[in-house]
Amino acid sequence: MTPDEPDVPRRVRVTAPRTAARVRGASFPVAREMAEQSEVGQLFVASLIRSQLRLALVVAGGFLVILIGIPVLLAVFPDINAVTILTVPVPWLLLGLGIYPLVISCAVLYVRSAGRNERRFQDLVDDD
Amino acid sequence: MTEALGSRALELSPAVGYSALALVALSTVLIGIYGLRISRTTGDFYVASRTVRPWWNASAIGGEYLSAASFLGVAGLILISGVDALWFPIGYTAGYLMLLLFVAAPLRRSGAYTIPDFAQARLDSLPVRRVTSMLVVVVGWLYIVPQLHGAALTVRITTGLPNWVGPLAVVVVVTLSVVTGGMRSITFVQAFQYWLKLTALAIPVVFILVRLGSDGAPVTGGGSAFTADLNTTADASLYGTISLVIALLFGTLGLPHILVRFYTNPDGASARRTTLIVLGLLSVFYLFPTVYGILGRIHTPELAAEGAADATVLLLPGRIFDGTAGDLLSALVTAGAFAAFLSTTSGLVVSLAGVVSQEFFQGSVRGFRRAALLSALVPLVVALLTDSLALAGSVGSVFAFTASTICPLLLLGIWWRGLTDAGAIAGMLVGAVLCGGAIAATALLGDGGNHWVWLGQPALWSVPTAFVTMVLVSRATSGRRPASASRVLARLHTPEPRRSDGADRHP
Repeated sequence: MTPDEPDVPRRVRVTAPRTAARVRGASFPVAREMAEQSEVGQLFVASLIRSQLRLALVVAGGFLVILIGIPVLLAVFPDINAVTILTVPVPWLLLGLGIYPLVISCAVLYVRSAGRNERRFQDLVDDD
Repeated sequence: MTEALGSRALELSPAVGYSALALVALSTVLIGIYGLRISRTTGDFYVASRTVRPWWNASAIGGEYLSAASFLGVAGLILISGVDALWFPIGYTAGYLMLLLFVAAPLRRSGAYTIPDFAQARLDSLPVRRVTSMLVVVVGWLYIVPQLHGAALTVRITTGLPNWVGPLAVVVVVTLSVVTGGMRSITFVQAFQYWLKLTALAIPVVFILVRLGSDGAPVTGGGSAFTADLNTTADASLYGTISLVIALLFGTLGLPHILVRFYTNPDGASARRTTLIVLGLLSVFYLFPTVYGILGRIHTPELAAEGAADATVLLLPGRIFDGTAGDLLSALVTAGAFAAFLSTTSGLVVSLAGVVSQEFFQGSVRGFRRAALLSALVPLVVALLTDSLALAGSVGSVFAFTASTICPLLLLGIWWRGLTDAGAIAGMLVGAVLCGGAIAATALLGDGGNHWVWLGQPALWSVPTAFVTMVLVSRATSGRRPASASRVLARLHTPEPRRSDGADRHP
C-alpha cells in the first residue's frame, strides 16, 4: 500500500479475447458515442436514466410500503395474531409464504418496464 | 455455548457424517478440476470470461448466496424466535429485488471486475479505490467467519471431531478449487451446489411430512408449534424488525461475492434475467428451512435451551426416522450444509482474491492464487480464535455493515451525477464507524434486550446517515466532480446494441 510511489505499475484491464463482451464491444461505440457526444444524444441518455430511476423508485417504494406495513399493522392490531387458517396463524402465512409471490411480481414488472424503456431509447438512437 | 454442545452425546453415527463430508468435498474438487480444463485466460479466472448463461449464473448465485446462515441459521432462529425469524429469509430474498432495481444491469455495463474497480472507474480516484478495497476485504472476512463457525458446528455434531476440523476442511477444499480453477470452475461448482442444497433440504422434509402424516403424528401440533411460548428470546420490537429489514434489503447490494457474479453475464439485460431467476430460486429454497424450523419447534425444542438451535436441520431427520432411513436422510442434510459453507466461502474467497490481487499482486493469475490463499487463511485464524454466535444473527450484522458502507457508494455512484471522491470516502467512513462501532459495542456489552435494540440493529440510522454524509460532502466539494461523470453514467445506463443475427455467439 504505497499510493505515492511513482513506479507502481499501471493496472491493466484484461479480458479474454474470445469473449462475447469483447466481440460486441467493437460495435458498441456507434450508438454510444453518438449518444454521448451530440447534444440530442445526451438529452436522450439523461431522460433514459431519469425514467429508469423513476421506475426503480416506484417499484421499490411500493414494495417497501407493503413490507414495512406488515409489522406496523401487526403492532397496531395485535388481534391479527390470533387469526388462524388450518391451524397456521395469519402472520406466519403472510411472512412465510405470502411475501415471495409479491417479490417476484415486483421483479417481473420491473424487468419488463426497464426493457421497454431501453427499447424506446434504442429506437430513438437508431432513428437519428 | 460450546460447552453445552460439547456435552451432547453424538446422535448420529459418525460414518454418516464422514461419508457426507467426503462426498461433497470430492465432488467439489472434481468439478473444480473439470473447470480447470476449460479455464485458460486471466478473464476466465476472474469472471469466467463473461460467458455464463442466465440459468447457470442464477444457480451459481443461489449456490453462493445460500450460506450457513440460510441453510442452518434460519431454521435455528425460527426455533428460538418464532415468527420474528421469518424476516431473515424475506430480507435475504428481497435484497435481490433491490439489487435488480438499482444495480444489476448498470453494474454489468460498467465493465469493471470488482467493486473497487467500479469505484475507481466512476470517480476516477485512487483513494476511493483504496478505501473501497479495504471495506470489501473486511466485509468478506467478516462474512467468511460465520461460515467457518457453521462448519465447526456441523462437523462436531455429525462426527464428534473437535472444533477446528470443520473450518480447516472448508478452507482446504475451497483454496484447492479456487486456486486450480478460478471463477469458471467455481461457477459450475456453485451452480451444482445450489441444487445440492435444495435437494438436501427438500427430500428429507418430504419424507418427514409423509411419515408424520401417515402416523397421524402432529405436524404443527394442532397449531402449538406457532405459539410464542416456545420462544426463548424476547419478541422483536417494531424498530428492531424494520431496522433488520433495511439492513438485509440494502446489505445484499454490497456483498462482494454477489456483485462479482453479475460481471459473468454477457450483457445488462441478461444480468436482469439472471436476477429474476435468482429471486425464484431463493423463494423456493427458503420454504424448506422454514418448514424445518416449524417442525423443530415440536420435535427438537430442547435444542433452543441448549444453545444448539442451529443444529435443528441436522438433527431433525434422525429424530423422525430410525435406522438406515434416518442415517441416509441425515447424511443428505449434512452434505447440503457442508455444500453451503463451501460454496459461500469459495465465492467470497474468489471475490476477495480478485480485489486483493489487483491491489497488491498486479492482477496476474499467480497473484490471484496467492491472494486466494491469503483471503482464506485470515478468516480461518479468526474463526479458530472466536466462538460462534447464532449464525443468522452474525450474518445479519455483516449485512448492516455493507448497507452502511458499500451500498451508498453503489447507489449514488450509479444514479447520481453529483457524487465526488471526497463525498464517497466520507460517507463510507462515517457508515463504517457508526455501524462497526454499534456492532462492536453490542458484542462487548452483550445483548441488552429491546432497550438497546437501536445499538444491536444499527441499520435504520447508520444507513441514512451514510447516505446523507455522502450527498452533503459531495455537494460541498462539487468542484471535484470527475469530468467523466456524464460519460460513465451514459455507459452504465445505455443498452447494448441489438444484435442483427439474433443468435447467441458463445457456446
